[in-house]
Amino acid sequence: MKGLGSRIFGWEFALVLLIALAAAWSTYLSPYYLTVEQILYSTRHFVFPGLLALGLAVVVILGEIDISLASILAVGAVLLAKASAFGLPIVVAAPFVVCVCACLGGLNGALVARLGLPSLAVTVGTMGAYRGLAFIIGSETGYTDFDASYAYVGATRLGGLVPVSFLVFLALALAVGFLMERTVFGRRCYSVGNNKEAAWIAGVDVARLKIEAFALGGALAGLAALVWVGQYGSARGDNADGSILFVVTAVVLGGIDINGGRGRIAGVVLALFLLGTIRNGMGLANIGGPTQTVVLGLLLIIGVLRPVILNAVGRLRRMGPSGARSTLAD
Amino acid sequence: MPPPSLTARAPHRSLGNLALRLRVSGVVAFLILLGAAFAVLSPQFLTPQNLRAIVSNAAILAIVAAAQAVVLLTRNLDVSVGSIMGLCAYLTADFAAAHQGVGPVLVLMPLVLGAGLGLINGLLVAYGRISPLVVTLGTLSLYRGATYIYARGQEVTSYRLPRWMIGLADATIAGVPWLVVISIVVVALLAAFLRFYPAGRRIYAVGSNPLASAFFGLRAERVIVLVYVIDGVLCGLSGFLYAARVGTVTVVLASGWELNSLAAAVIGGVSVTGGSGTVVGAALGAVVLASIDNGLVLMGVPEFWRMFIQGAAIVAAAAADVLIAVQIRKSVQGRRRFRERGA
Repeated sequence: MKGLGSRIFGWEFALVLLIALAAAWSTYLSPYYLTVEQILYSTRHFVFPGLLALGLAVVVILGEIDISLASILAVGAVLLAKASAFGLPIVVAAPFVVCVCACLGGLNGALVARLGLPSLAVTVGTMGAYRGLAFIIGSETGYTDFDASYAYVGATRLGGLVPVSFLVFLALALAVGFLMERTVFGRRCYSVGNNKEAAWIAGVDVARLKIEAFALGGALAGLAALVWVGQYGSARGDNADGSILFVVTAVVLGGIDINGGRGRIAGVVLALFLLGTIRNGMGLANIGGPTQTVVLGLLLIIGVLRPVILNAVGRLRRMGPSGARSTLAD
Repeated sequence: MPPPSLTARAPHRSLGNLALRLRVSGVVAFLILLGAAFAVLSPQFLTPQNLRAIVSNAAILAIVAAAQAVVLLTRNLDVSVGSIMGLCAYLTADFAAAHQGVGPVLVLMPLVLGAGLGLINGLLVAYGRISPLVVTLGTLSLYRGATYIYARGQEVTSYRLPRWMIGLADATIAGVPWLVVISIVVVALLAAFLRFYPAGRRIYAVGSNPLASAFFGLRAERVIVLVYVIDGVLCGLSGFLYAARVGTVTVVLASGWELNSLAAAVIGGVSVTGGSGTVVGAALGAVVLASIDNGLVLMGVPEFWRMFIQGAAIVAAAAADVLIAVQIRKSVQGRRRFRERGA
């Protein structure tokens, strides 16, 4: 019997293989794929959903869900645009916006943890409410000009090669991974996701922990907004609308149990690389958006069917020898 | 004097009934308040034409909200409703355009298609044991993507659709639009099914206490497949009606309806934690949303305020449900404790 740790490691190993496979396939599809510059540039496809996925992963490990993250990003983007229009320096505006976004996430968490509302209902509601808020702040037309300092994170490439946004993503992924694996906060998140009652009896302040996790997700969405304005140079209420599919797919494909308590941040990062590679390859091969969406949907369902398939395979394998034994006994 | 077991049970049951009735009458009260507010703010709101416009707008959403409610009752949800509507509507409209002169038997097509798409959702949720949110988020993109791929950037324009189908949207019977009549009949049939048929009661049983219903011998998997099929059929019908209403069928038809239907159901008092709520409430929730929409347009409020208000209303409705549930639990527990002490 394999231990849980090695089984999860097995899935992460499988993800690495899949990434290699997807890269090989992309090389075969398009001659433009296999250059360092192209591959590094393509990371822009998954950096902003990746930041949302890091936040969502923490919330899902806790056993909750937050589908309003893309809407929080939109609020962050229009707030940054406002700040830029006011002439606020970025070193003031960015922390401010991240704080506001953390508060929006924390509000979700407070509604879930203090009032005991189901997180899905709350975040379906706030998904609409926050997007409405973004439109109310930024009006229907939105903004397109930003001070150059605002675009730094999203648009600059160090040495003309490595995007700053990618480095930011890697640093934050390491930080969140450290938080979940090596700190008390992370331990508590897993324990609450596994068994809320037991964690509560063991002295974990479940409500506070949930609020903190939702706030962390909101803060990461605020940072994603910073990447967004640099990358796309626009801020409007409908920013990142519909990207939650990609985000949830990454989290689930990364091996995080949607019911909480299981899965690692490393898996989510690998799943993001996999999805990014597939998207990049299909884009270079001129495969249209709708087909990409279908592939994404299929991957999501395969990702969640994974434990079911593994169980079925395991059962077959166990049945094989035992079946043979029973015939021998006859 | 009745036997003691009956006296012990009667108050409990009436309390639950009362709370449910309160919840639905709460929606009605909110609707009246809302109507009064809009009537004061805008003189056109209470005119017969405007009221007819509101119920026509609410008619199709009411069916989808009722479908969503049936799924929510079993502690599941369906965010692919808009994509099912879109795919059924497009395939049906395309078939009708290619086979001119097809009669009203055409209506069967979206129903069967919807049943198939719902069946896929149901099988994945029930037998794949996957979170319903993840399954239907996946099929949301699968079904919508399939529509895009099938359509290849085309759309079915209204003049290629059968006359009777286009006429359906404007036709009235005794001054009431046909769409509204269909909607009321469908919701009433569904309500009767849930209330009086064993299969309908099973839906509530599985949602309100899965463990107890499993001990009782109910197969939750079959019930869940059934609710997704019902949901799919109703979404197929709604897609067809919506296509008839808008005339030109595009690939993005009914995208975003998952949120509207969830909002309507939750505002109408259907609990997302399952087992509680009615389809009539969900349909009334759709009327509330349509009234908000209509009133805000009349007052000249920008469209995006609607999103904000709708979202806030969902959270408020969910909070109201939980508060009511807590109250019921408290009072029931109090009585039980009292009874135990008395015995």
